[in-house]
Amino acid sequence: MKPAAFDYYAPSSIEEACRLLSEAGGGATVLAGGQTLMPLLALRMSQPFIVVDITRIAALKTVTRGDGCTRIGPTLRQNELIAHAEIGRALPSLVTAARHVGHHQTRNRGTVGGSIALGEPAAELPATALALGASVELRSLRGTRRVPLQDFYFGPYATALEPDELLVGIEFPDWPAGTSWLFREIAQRPGDFALVGFSGAVTVQDGRISRAGLAWFGMGPTPIRARQAEAALLNQNPEQIDAQAIAQLAIADTAPFDDHHASAEYRRTVGRRLCAKLLSETLPARQAA
Amino acid sequence: MNDAQHPPQAGRYIGQRVERKEDARLLTGRGVYVDDVSLPGMLHVAFVRSPIARGRIRSLDASPALALPGVYAVYTAQDLARFKIDMLSFFLAAPAVQITPLASGRVAYVGDPVALVIAQNRYIAEDAAGLVQVDYEEETPVVGIDAAREGALVHPDSDSNIAVAMGEEHDEAIEALLAQAPHVVSTTVHHQRVAQSPIETRGVVVAKHGEGELTVYLACQSPQMAARYIAQAFGLPPTGIRVISKDVGGSFGLKVQPWREEIAVIAAGLIFGRPLKWIEDRLENLTASNQARDQQMRIRAAFDNEGRMLAAHSDYDLDNGAYPHGADCNIAVSMFLWAAYKMPQFNFYTKGWFTNTVGLAAYRGPWAMESLARETLLDIAARQIGIDPIEIRRRNLVYKADQPRTTPFGIPLEDITPAECLELLLQKFDVAAFRAEQAQARKQGRYLGLGFAAYIEPTAGSAGISVLASDVAQIRIEPTGKVSAVLSTHSQGHGTQTTMAQVIAETLGVPLADVSVHEDDSSRGGFGAGASGSRQAVAGGGASIKAAELLRDKLRRVAAHLLETDAQRVRIENGRILVDGEPEKSRSLREIAEVAYGEPERLPEGMEAGLEAQYRYRPPPLTLSSAAHLCVVDVSADTGFVKILRWISSEDCGVMINPAVVEGQIAGGLAQAIGTVLLEHVSFDARGNPTAVTYKDYMLPAISDVPDFEYHHLCTPSQSVGGFRGVGEGGCIVGPPTLVNAIADALSPFGAIPLDLPLTPSKLLEVIEGRSMAPRPAESAPVPVPSAPVPSAAPAPVLEAPPVIATQTRIDGIWKLVLATPIGPQKFNGNFVTDGDKVSGTLDSDMGSQAFSGVVEGNRLRWDLKVTKPVSVTLKYDVLIEGDKLSGKVKMGIFGNAKLTGERG
Repeated sequence: MKPAAFDYYAPSSIEEACRLLSEAGGGATVLAGGQTLMPLLALRMSQPFIVVDITRIAALKTVTRGDGCTRIGPTLRQNELIAHAEIGRALPSLVTAARHVGHHQTRNRGTVGGSIALGEPAAELPATALALGASVELRSLRGTRRVPLQDFYFGPYATALEPDELLVGIEFPDWPAGTSWLFREIAQRPGDFALVGFSGAVTVQDGRISRAGLAWFGMGPTPIRARQAEAALLNQNPEQIDAQAIAQLAIADTAPFDDHHASAEYRRTVGRRLCAKLLSETLPARQAA
Repeated sequence: MNDAQHPPQAGRYIGQRVERKEDARLLTGRGVYVDDVSLPGMLHVAFVRSPIARGRIRSLDASPALALPGVYAVYTAQDLARFKIDMLSFFLAAPAVQITPLASGRVAYVGDPVALVIAQNRYIAEDAAGLVQVDYEEETPVVGIDAAREGALVHPDSDSNIAVAMGEEHDEAIEALLAQAPHVVSTTVHHQRVAQSPIETRGVVVAKHGEGELTVYLACQSPQMAARYIAQAFGLPPTGIRVISKDVGGSFGLKVQPWREEIAVIAAGLIFGRPLKWIEDRLENLTASNQARDQQMRIRAAFDNEGRMLAAHSDYDLDNGAYPHGADCNIAVSMFLWAAYKMPQFNFYTKGWFTNTVGLAAYRGPWAMESLARETLLDIAARQIGIDPIEIRRRNLVYKADQPRTTPFGIPLEDITPAECLELLLQKFDVAAFRAEQAQARKQGRYLGLGFAAYIEPTAGSAGISVLASDVAQIRIEPTGKVSAVLSTHSQGHGTQTTMAQVIAETLGVPLADVSVHEDDSSRGGFGAGASGSRQAVAGGGASIKAAELLRDKLRRVAAHLLETDAQRVRIENGRILVDGEPEKSRSLREIAEVAYGEPERLPEGMEAGLEAQYRYRPPPLTLSSAAHLCVVDVSADTGFVKILRWISSEDCGVMINPAVVEGQIAGGLAQAIGTVLLEHVSFDARGNPTAVTYKDYMLPAISDVPDFEYHHLCTPSQSVGGFRGVGEGGCIVGPPTLVNAIADALSPFGAIPLDLPLTPSKLLEVIEGRSMAPRPAESAPVPVPSAPVPSAAPAPVLEAPPVIATQTRIDGIWKLVLATPIGPQKFNGNFVTDGDKVSGTLDSDMGSQAFSGVVEGNRLRWDLKVTKPVSVTLKYDVLIEGDKLSGKVKMGIFGNAKLTGERG
């Protein structure tokens, strides 16, 4: 379990990193916290010619608030996210999600951007960011583009990120006062990828639900937005929500699979329960008879 | 909770929870494991391993590997053939089928070592291993016991896939008893395959010194045993072989003997001459290290109306893989199945099967299936007959008052106490209160369960197996007055450097701090099997006591002579010589030792100089330990998750040397039991590819899955010197049925649980929901993607997207396709049907068929295929057809690109 040979670069600027990625013509891999990449390199499941370590680029680590959003640099470590007071106030469910990523030791290395960019369908951060309406800023020598996460994930580990592009920031829109935050997962052991998980936020203003962002993880080839459930919640009186019915709608958007750990039907069954329970505990929802 | 009763022999050290002498060193990273050994001029080894489970090696070309700078040699079975090596069993017996260190002509499992590379470092060695070109003629593998019954011969020269069989499938007398019994309970238990998963994987460093001498640093369970094994396997004089094994990070049966890779590296070291190192990596450990369990048992047992046993028949099958550490039908399972119970008559049929999977090895309590099968059956019987699970055990267990007696298998029982352990357990737990709580909880939708299991365990067996017959202790009081002991025990983390020192310090009358124990080097001390069969306390402890007694007696004689008194009046306390009634004659050990070594003329007439003693101890033929456990679980009806709320152990391992070490052994075994019941699973796909190859998928219990255990000790002295009994394996034996029974009890309102380990949340939720949640076969049809990521291949070339050539090309029809994956070429057929600018069809292989649809642009086809097994990935096909040839690439998500080629079929 030793990686195949590769050239290692640790650029100090975004431009230099983009130039390296561009010149590599698809043969480069970006290294951030290395919590996924290093095992894949060691197993030789990934054999890039060039590894571009972006953790020395100071500009990729910053967190800024303003203009109605929170912008998180991709190399912010997961434990730094957890400890960040401003993010904690602005995006509580993102912090809760981060607490469920791996273990304390891996969170010291693992980065927010690394998890978002990888697109593991059972990971906590991509689904939570998707639910919260985040978008990613992608930079290359060709320019900069902003991609909402709902257009970013194609399949397991398949994203809109082109080989010459670098994720340089993740932007989360602000959620107004009156927002309830949701996060729950079922994993075989703490720190494992979820068998099923559900995350997001619901805003109640003037007695009506004005905004809802909900997403699943571990329930299909990508993190999956529960669009039908979101739509059904809008403009409803939260006290008259039928949590079971909403959960049923939320499940309808999923496409879980069978694997070594659980069957698709298990995921659907438990997911529906988890969702209903989470909604009724978080919102003053009416229990189904 | 610890309430160790101090046995009669409890003394200053024996029976005390003294701190382990080795801990400061081990816990501060000062241990010396094989990978800590580095020798001048040392080179590194990596293996080329088979990517297929069964087939013939057509050809092997090492030249691309040899051309890589830093590569010194590539050896195949042919190169090692000069040694005529037999891979012996643990008992040093020749194997049932020929087993060579490297695959010779045929491969028999995924991971089978085909060649080894010697290189400057491990990186280059792995690069080179990927460059060795092996052409295989693949055959349909035999995967699983059912396939072994009807499939091709795993070993074409043998006459059946049965490795060993014993017993009788049909017994008229038993059948007659079953036919007329008031109650017949019948169960089938499936126990999955598990991996031993030591923290330290296998590893070896070999150094040849001239022609006649060899030093081998080895992760093993006994350097003495390993040296003997290597000498016999190579036909070399044992005198020239020195095996050093200072610290070992767990073995659990895996390292009981050197196996193919270690022997291949030693052979390569003999040929090549320079020191070589091979450290098994985790991927190899989870795929190519021999594994354990993988068995099934069907029992039919008859009971009378009071739940008393009448007769039973058991039918047991064990997957041996291709090359087991000794072909095995696990007779001990049948031997101990009813040994602790009053089963008047039973018979059994037991078989070991060869399959195209990695071979069978021992794992802590290799016969543990007997407890799992019996104790789960007893609970089912209790429910069926309508009596309490505790009561059915009380009515059938062998109590002290029932002994001596002999089991139908001829095992003499004199002092087993499983029933007394159960009674002790019941004093510590209020069953009636629990049942009330359980009933209350069920009303609120909480499902609590209580499980019991009782068993006896054979430890330190010394009869019938020559390598296990005896152990030896050599003890010296050095001229400094300090004590050093060389033992044939060996620690895998067991703490024998402490426990054996406790026994010696107690017997000699010296401070524990003055005793050091050595067991790390085959060139010191004598033969013994080391850490196996729960034998070290009994055999090593007995040898230590006897040797220390001899030394103590000599010391007293020497002291009496020098101090002009009678030996009867000489005592040794806390490292000082004391003479009754004459305190002025007190001497230090050092003063006496200096005379014994330096002035032997002052010793009694004719006495040998020095203060040294040796004793080779043969323990009784079998020393039996007993235990009963209970645990309480909470099973979530929403998710099928099991939470262990409480676990109480009540065991009898005789006189305890160190209760903390005893409890550590029980806890470790129980942690493995929890992993076995809930999490761990070595699985294979239909092609024999292992599907849990990292710790992401091979799930070991974590700290969060293992509760704090409560321990209670009965301490019935055994017949062995010191009264000790073994306790190394018990938790792993009694743990699984205890937990399974608790889960079954919790879910009894919903029906019976499947006796099919591991009991995953999916399986338990099926019971709760009363419906199948099994994977739908169509969804999980395997397709040709890299499955077992055996490190081997060079990087797949990154292909440019093929240019679009707008010509009319014939696309429709069957194509023979080859995908170059990191684990070698994967072959399958493509059936393409075009319709305007659309293409659809199927990709077909032995492993199944999968439909796809995509787009056509001229002669370029593109389609996506979502695969969920063995990993979730979307395969993006992009191919170009020119005439009867097809070429292109498949983008495999994070796994990179693979080249696809093909021709019209």
